[in-house]
Amino acid sequence: MDLLTTSVATVESGSEPYTLVELVGEADVTNSDALREVLDAEVAKQPRTLIIDLTGLRFMDSSALHVILRANRSMDRQGGVVALACPRDPVAKMLRLTAADQLIPVYQSVSDASAG
Amino acid sequence: MARPSVQFPDPPSRSQPLPSPTNDAMYHTYRSDLSQVRALVLKQAREAGLAEGRANDLVLAVSEVAANTLRHTRSSGTLAIWHDEEEVVCEIHDEGTITDPLVGRNKPSLDANGGHGLWLVRQVCDLVELNSDASGTTVRMHMTLRPPATGT
Repeated sequence: MDLLTTSVATVESGSEPYTLVELVGEADVTNSDALREVLDAEVAKQPRTLIIDLTGLRFMDSSALHVILRANRSMDRQGGVVALACPRDPVAKMLRLTAADQLIPVYQSVSDASAG
Repeated sequence: MARPSVQFPDPPSRSQPLPSPTNDAMYHTYRSDLSQVRALVLKQAREAGLAEGRANDLVLAVSEVAANTLRHTRSSGTLAIWHDEEEVVCEIHDEGTITDPLVGRNKPSLDANGGHGLWLVRQVCDLVELNSDASGTTVRMHMTLRPPATGT
C-alpha cells in the first residue's frame, strides 16, 4: 500500500465548482515530488478554489508543507484560493507552528471550506 | 572595577563529541522508509510514558532530521532511541555534514523553499544537540518525561 494516496474530484457546489484534493496516509520527503505533480496539475486547470482535505492525513513533514505553500503561491498569482480542511492533531500543530495556518485558511470540514 | 561576567551556555560545538547512548539504546538503520522510523519512535516514546502530543512532536522532529539523510546523503542513517526516568532521547546519525552550527535557529520565511526542518526540530524538542564533522552528523533530540508546569 502506498504511504500517501491522493484523489482528485471536481465538486459542483451551488454556483461555482471547486477542486477537491484528498490526501490519505503520510506525506513526507519520500512522496513530496508525487504530491507536487498532483497539485501542479490541478493548479494548472486554474480552478477558483482548491480545497485540500487533510482528514485522512496522519503525518505531514516540512517537504509536504512546502509543496502546499508552493501551490498556494501559484493559486494566489492566478487569482484563486487554496483552503485546507480538517487537519488532525500532528498536522494541525505543524501548520500552527510554522504559521502556515495564518497564510492559508484552515477549516473544520470540507463543507465549511467550500462555503468560504 | 571588574564586574562578574555573565555566563551563557555555549551552543554545542561542532567538535565536541556527545556522550555515548546508554547501553539499552535501541538502534534502527533506515535508507528510505521514514514511515517505519516514525512508527518506531512513536511506539518507544509511548512506552517511555511521553504524553501523546509530545510523542507526536518527537516523531515530527526525528522524521525531519531523518529526511535530511535522504536529501543530503547517498547512504543510510541510524536512529538510536533510549530513555531513563527523566527523558526520552532520539539520535540520528548519518554521513552528511552540517556546516552551520546555528542551523534552524531562525524561523525561515514561508516563501522559502526549505529550511523549516531543523527549525521545527528546535521548536518541538526540549533540547537539541548537534555535532557535525567530516565523519558525519549526529543530531540528538531530548524530550523530558515530566515537563515543568507551564501554567496553561
